[in-house]
Amino acid sequence: MTAASAAAGPEVASRRVSLELIGLSRRFGSVVALDGLTFSVPPGEVFGFLGPNGAGKTTAMRAIFGVVALEGGQVRWQGQPVTEQARRRFGYMPEERGLYPSMQILEQLEYLGRLHDMTAASARDAARHWIKRLGLAGRESAKLEALSHGNQQRVQLAAALMHDPELLVLDEPFAGLDPGGVDDMTEILAERARAGVTVLFSSHQLDLVEHICEAVAIIHRGRVVTQGAVSDLERGDRPRLAVRVTGDQAGDWAARLDPGVATVEQVNSGMVVLTLAPGADSQKVLDAARAAGAVEHFSFASRRLSEVFRDVTGEEA
Amino acid sequence: MNSKWVRLTAIIAEREIRQRARSRAFAVSTIVLLLVVAAGVVIPAILAHTAKPQRVGIVGGQAAAMTGIVHEAGHLTGTGVTVVPQPSLTAAEAALRSGQLDVVLVNDSEVVVKQVSVADSSGSGGGLASAIADVAGLSRLLGQLPPGAADRGVTLPVRGLSPPSASLSRRLTGLFTVVLVWVLISAYGSQIAMGVGEEKQNRIVEVILASVRPVQLLVGKVTGIGVLALAQAALMVVAFLGLGAAVGSSLVHGAAPGIVICGAVFLVLGYAFYCTAYAAAGSLVSRQSDVGTVILPVQVPLIVAYALSYTVIYANGANIFYKVLGFFPPTAPLAMPVLYAAGDVPAWQAAISAVLLAAGTVWMARTAATIYGRSILRTGSRVRLRQVLARGEAA
Repeated sequence: MTAASAAAGPEVASRRVSLELIGLSRRFGSVVALDGLTFSVPPGEVFGFLGPNGAGKTTAMRAIFGVVALEGGQVRWQGQPVTEQARRRFGYMPEERGLYPSMQILEQLEYLGRLHDMTAASARDAARHWIKRLGLAGRESAKLEALSHGNQQRVQLAAALMHDPELLVLDEPFAGLDPGGVDDMTEILAERARAGVTVLFSSHQLDLVEHICEAVAIIHRGRVVTQGAVSDLERGDRPRLAVRVTGDQAGDWAARLDPGVATVEQVNSGMVVLTLAPGADSQKVLDAARAAGAVEHFSFASRRLSEVFRDVTGEEA
Repeated sequence: MNSKWVRLTAIIAEREIRQRARSRAFAVSTIVLLLVVAAGVVIPAILAHTAKPQRVGIVGGQAAAMTGIVHEAGHLTGTGVTVVPQPSLTAAEAALRSGQLDVVLVNDSEVVVKQVSVADSSGSGGGLASAIADVAGLSRLLGQLPPGAADRGVTLPVRGLSPPSASLSRRLTGLFTVVLVWVLISAYGSQIAMGVGEEKQNRIVEVILASVRPVQLLVGKVTGIGVLALAQAALMVVAFLGLGAAVGSSLVHGAAPGIVICGAVFLVLGYAFYCTAYAAAGSLVSRQSDVGTVILPVQVPLIVAYALSYTVIYANGANIFYKVLGFFPPTAPLAMPVLYAAGDVPAWQAAISAVLLAAGTVWMARTAATIYGRSILRTGSRVRLRQVLARGEAA
């Protein structure tokens, strides 16, 4: 646990929480998939569940749906252990997409809707709605296997959305999508979140999704290593500055700085990236820069989520 | 188990029925099976009318009068006859045994055949033999009545050289049953296993099992496919009986109500026994293409019983091994209808076998549901049966 996550912790706890994963543990043979995984997700925002491949994201998501047995821990929904009845109010898009290839898409969506307690009529209406919304109008009676890969992904998303779920869980929803697909997916996730739905999605591409989610939990080897609002994580506990002094390509001015004020992370053709020492005043850095020459650029620089991951684990995401 | 449980399971069964009933494979298999049934009923009936002349031996009495009786009986039954006078009853019986004669008429006393059938008189040469007995008895009545003739009745007794057996037509009805049970269980069983393998390969199980339990998916699937299998079976039976009656096939005479009921009971129980086993086998693989290898062990008892059934149908009487198979649940669905149709076991024994099979079905369903539930969500290499059953872990 870093100071960043500790700082974000109380804030998370004070927010309204709908989904809680508490101390989940599971091993497959000698591989530890979940090692006391704990985090919670509030309703009404898009929550990212991030980490490298093999970190345990898929196992955790499958645990929410009871399709993987846990050795320990509990998944709670609105303060109660998840029941079968509650699960039928959840929407799930698994990592390995799964639908019947030779079934017509309208029928297929209707079938899945009915398995989530919808009547045949309302399932048919919802299927038509999502087929139209996802740009598949006119393909209602096409078999799934006749659709392009991207369109099959859309049907899979529609299957998760059919019954207007209270919790939407999507495992790697952006994998394999073209840029248009990413935009559509982002828009739908944001729209669902605005409608009060709890939206949890996973991704191993931390930097690609950092602008999509409002809050994240970052997982490594089955444990949450840091979590909180994306804006907090990007700022971090030790603010970072990017400074350029005209004519100083090597950033020599910064090398003379007192380590008690700031340390140099990197110099990139005159742009010096520094990390402020705890409690140090950023204006002292500005003073030093101005003393060295004309200051061309001075800003707080945000950290990427992959850097956050690297900082807390010492490994590349 | 509540109404919601049943409703969700019914939705799953409904999907299976809809998807499969619409498929080309179902239409084609129905047509092919109907053609096979039609051919099986109509062709023997056509052949029966062009049967080769029966050789009838006559012993004692007046050759001309007895030849007249035989020809009259041949005329009545539409059978060609050749009369062969025999020097003695011993010689005639020897000729019967060696197959040189089909029927022997002994003057004024009896008709002898190689074997009489148990249930009816239409079996091997029985039609002609009983007609000869009738005509000979009638002519005796019209002639001088020997003392005591009235006590013995009008018809001469028909005697068989070997012990009575079930008629060929009864045994052919048994054959029809065994083929139907075999085709339906193995064809629909494979469909179940393939369907489970498909769901596992496509990973749709994960989506479905997020809202229903594995046992619901299992029960829904085997029920839906079972409804189709039984509908197809009912169609075959109706075609068999309808066509048989229309062409006057002797096969239908063999379909006594008892045999039909026995066949139906063992078809339903046999499907129930095997359907979950096929589903459990299908759940062990991750790729549909591996289904063929895992269902083989499930099919072995069926194959053994099916192959041995032919020896019982065409030979006379079942051996003890086959009788044991008739009471062993995995082979009973095929063996018992044959044993019953061939007259080798009484009805109460068939009932005991059905009870044993029902008990076996309960055991199989429980075991299969456990295997299915534990392996349906496991991906990667093929799941080992021992591994699944050893660990008491619910996936």
